[in-house]
Amino acid sequence: MWLPLLGLILGVSLGLLSDIQIPQLYSNYLSIAVLAALDTLFGGIRAYLQQIYDDKVFISGFFFNIALAAGLAFLGVHLGVDLYLAAVFAFGVRLFQNIAVIRRILLTKWSDRGKVSEKKFQE
Amino acid sequence: MAKKMNEENKNKGRYILYSLVFLVLGFIFAFSYRTLGKDSGETAPSPTFQEEEQYRADLIVQKERNKELADEIRSKQAEIREFEQSFLRSEENHAELVNEAKDLRLLLGVIPAVGPGVRVTLKDGDYDPVEQNPNDYIVHESHVLRVVNELKISGAQGISINGQRISSNSYIKCTGPVITIDGRTFPAPFVVEAIGDPEILSPSLNLTGGVIDSLVHDNIVVTLEQLKELKLPALRDES
Repeated sequence: MWLPLLGLILGVSLGLLSDIQIPQLYSNYLSIAVLAALDTLFGGIRAYLQQIYDDKVFISGFFFNIALAAGLAFLGVHLGVDLYLAAVFAFGVRLFQNIAVIRRILLTKWSDRGKVSEKKFQE
Repeated sequence: MAKKMNEENKNKGRYILYSLVFLVLGFIFAFSYRTLGKDSGETAPSPTFQEEEQYRADLIVQKERNKELADEIRSKQAEIREFEQSFLRSEENHAELVNEAKDLRLLLGVIPAVGPGVRVTLKDGDYDPVEQNPNDYIVHESHVLRVVNELKISGAQGISINGQRISSNSYIKCTGPVITIDGRTFPAPFVVEAIGDPEILSPSLNLTGGVIDSLVHDNIVVTLEQLKELKLPALRDES
């Protein structure tokens, strides 16, 4: 159960302590990767709340999205097209949508629970 | 039982996968936080620029300090002169010494000088389309030097160029279209003022084949004035 949390802590400390320097040019890819990771994470949470969650989809999506976003940005830099903007836009929109869906599901759940407890109280 | 084991294994595998995902997530977050945080710091002025700014600030401070010190020197010298004047009044036999000190100070240029003298103005020659080389009709530092030397030889007590007092330690340097005198740049026309006997100074400049002749030959517009009273500022060397 605590394994994922351990992984998170390990990852954060690894990221903070590692001495790797990346050139200014590639900082775009990094931000895209962050966005992709966030998007997939919230997508996973949404899927779990909608009971359509699947391990394979989540994990493959997580890594694939990061790679795709970075690859797209890379391609954009080499083609002279700001493709990373497309990625930022797509992931940003989806991020907001996912969070909105999560919020709505949580709200319905919360109000349902309130009704249930009310019913119980009435009974 | 086997099914349960299988389920447990599946759960374990899931957790391992999750931990891997979170590891990557945490790493990306922390790394980008570190990198981008550093980037925002780098958008601040570059180190060379900061260094330059630092030097500039230091220079300003030093110049201000120099100015303060120069003012202090001037007030101190005024005090000394006052003291000597009082000395002069009280002890007649020291008058000669005090006068000598005054003359020496005039020579050094540390006090303002007033007296009769001459003013030589050196102007660039008019643009001549025939002369291809502008060097042939502008005033060079050598011309100024020649005038100054001639004035010194003729017994000028104090000399200034464009208001900059010339002392025995002064230098005159060519820096492109302008000349630098003791670290200050001056453009043409150059006004050389000298205190001394005009009856001696102006003939010596006007000697046939002398300074003014050669300057005129170099296409320089020279004007020579004899003045009853000329005022030279004290030497400014704060910059």
